Amino acid sequence: MRTFRGTRVTGPARTAVPLLAGALLLGACGGGTDGGGSAADGKVSGHITFQTWNLRAQYKDYFEGLIDEFEKAHPGTKVKWIDQPAENYPEKLSADAGGGTLPDVVNVSPDLSYPLAKAGLLMNLDKEPVTAKAKGTYTPEAWKGNRLPGLDGAYAFPWYLNTGPLFYNKALFKKAGLDPEKPPTTYDELFADAGKMAKASGGKVATLAGVPAIEDFGRYGVKLMNADATRFTYNEPRGVQLLTEYKKLFESGGLDSQALNATPESAGRKFLQQRVAMNPGSAHDLANFKENAPDLYKNLGITDAPADTGKPNMYVMGLGINDRSEHKAAAIAFARFVTNQRNQEAFAHQVAVFPSTKGSLDKPYWTEDDGTDEGRVRVAAAKMLDGAVNYTPVVMTEEMKTVLQNEVAKALQGDKSPKQALDDAVAQSNRLLQQG
Amino acid sequence: MSVRTHRAASPWLFLLPGLAVVAAFVLYPFLSTVQHAFTDARTLTPGVWVGLRNFQEMLHDPQFWTALRNSLLYVVVVVPCTVLLPLLVALLVEKPLKGVVFFRAAFYTPVVASVVVVALIWVWMLDDRGLLNSMLEMVGAGPVSFLGDAGLVLLCAMALTVWKGLGYYMIIYLAALAQVPRELHEAAAVDGAGPVRRFVTVTVPAVRSTMVLVGALSSVAAFKVFSEVYLLAGPTGGPAGEDSTLVMLVQRSGTGLSGRVGYASALSLVIFCIALLLMLLVLRADRKEKTE
Repeated sequence: MRTFRGTRVTGPARTAVPLLAGALLLGACGGGTDGGGSAADGKVSGHITFQTWNLRAQYKDYFEGLIDEFEKAHPGTKVKWIDQPAENYPEKLSADAGGGTLPDVVNVSPDLSYPLAKAGLLMNLDKEPVTAKAKGTYTPEAWKGNRLPGLDGAYAFPWYLNTGPLFYNKALFKKAGLDPEKPPTTYDELFADAGKMAKASGGKVATLAGVPAIEDFGRYGVKLMNADATRFTYNEPRGVQLLTEYKKLFESGGLDSQALNATPESAGRKFLQQRVAMNPGSAHDLANFKENAPDLYKNLGITDAPADTGKPNMYVMGLGINDRSEHKAAAIAFARFVTNQRNQEAFAHQVAVFPSTKGSLDKPYWTEDDGTDEGRVRVAAAKMLDGAVNYTPVVMTEEMKTVLQNEVAKALQGDKSPKQALDDAVAQSNRLLQQG
Repeated sequence: MSVRTHRAASPWLFLLPGLAVVAAFVLYPFLSTVQHAFTDARTLTPGVWVGLRNFQEMLHDPQFWTALRNSLLYVVVVVPCTVLLPLLVALLVEKPLKGVVFFRAAFYTPVVASVVVVALIWVWMLDDRGLLNSMLEMVGAGPVSFLGDAGLVLLCAMALTVWKGLGYYMIIYLAALAQVPRELHEAAAVDGAGPVRRFVTVTVPAVRSTMVLVGALSSVAAFKVFSEVYLLAGPTGGPAGEDSTLVMLVQRSGTGLSGRVGYASALSLVIFCIALLLMLLVLRADRKEKTE
């Protein structure tokens, strides 16, 4: 292929792409130096950077303690901890990667590690003998969760796992004549209850505040991609069926009127204001409800998100190693230290997430209900993790998710048939995938 | 160094810091964008030359046409309002009446407020159970889904843009109105012209150049609108992306770890060309009017 001015365009490797005529164009390209960094099996020493994703505010002491302990155990090492806010985390990573300042140890989910690994910025842990040895200390599912399609390897040490319960408002359920102790467990039950809720409230209370995302299609039993993750397939009949049901839900008022362009934040706010009856969340939300919506907290129901497959969704977090790190040995040692059994379990005791180390979830803390709400969520969610699946395809970019949301909105508004909308979404996403 | 050389070189030495800043932060990014527009660069991978492929793709991208339509619609609706409303407001607050300073400050407040804060306030007002809908329900109308209907979201974003810019352009007009000779108004009044006639025959011709300037500035600003629509319509660009503008499309396709930098650069280049064209059209119309 012809290259720009006869040479391969290396500009993106070092430059920020500009704002033109005020147009907002963010994004830096390429990353760092071309060097391969230090040896992975070398001496554990040197200054490294460690980046987490929105954890400093609540878990400062935990991480500072970990870092102190690690530095004491490995004289000559120094860990600089950086924490980034939850919003725009991918943009922050891309700016770091483009500017050659990607931290040595970085908190990533598989969909974030995929582009970084593809660009050669993350270490392939399966190929590096020092890191491959660690594989056996994590659950096979968690290790597998960090393997990336087409790249032949795992690119992050498994860290914490989460499933995310579905919260519901028992008072609203009761008001609508529904049994507050029997929330829906399948999509059919969900649609039936939502219809009753809309009817009983005269359309004033919706059951859900967001349109179906890719995880919903996964939980409904739709085949999302082909086996080698080169083509999206969620326009199959089961996918069309789900969208058809959602369309009926939207028309009956079971779906909030602003659902078509809702964000997780706006949907969460409506649940907090008791304007929608159900909303997905995590155990983190409990403290928020307790503090900001005590009335809601009193009537809070906690259930599993409907899953017609019998397998709930699982969110996987990992710690990737910058393949161009100047202190790879120290970075690997630190990532393993943070993700070892003792430290993962200690973290999971504080955060209401779940450890990914082998045997951890068999311990009483995750198997025995202590009678508290937190305990109930914890035990139920830990149980769900057995056989849980990360439904979000790692190759699905934010742009592809927006494409799906917009096409779903067209179907719900009646501008397109559900089949046409999904065909179009798949066609656009496949085109984007091929370009990548 | 001789005195002559010194004299010749010194202006350039003074200019050097400024030139360096312009070169680094204006020229280089501009040229870099032009270069990337013809490549398939992505956020983390360098691109190769693909000629006009990005532009061809744009022609077949329905999102591009939706965004282009919305951006042009923005110009058509917002620019006339931005040219006229601040002028009327400036006329109201130009008189040296007691307490008028308060009104001037009040109109100027949205200009200094962050667009994010302003947009969030508007979101609360326009929500299904927001202030506006509560008022509508009190009179038996509504609720109106201001933020759930593609057409209404865009209209609300336009209103927000006009409202936010009102104070800024008002200041420009106040400066222009101060230059209008009082005698002209007095003469027109003696001839029996009422306030409306005086506005049309005296004020408007006197501030015409400023109106052109405001028109040019606001047309470019309206064409590049991002924050207002993003915050009101959400990251998807409203229901089904129907409220996306061109800059939102640039942001959506060009950012993130898998951003299509080449395509986004091509879009930016199109935005630049259209904005330039708009500016030239306004200025040309002004020049033509002056010569006639």
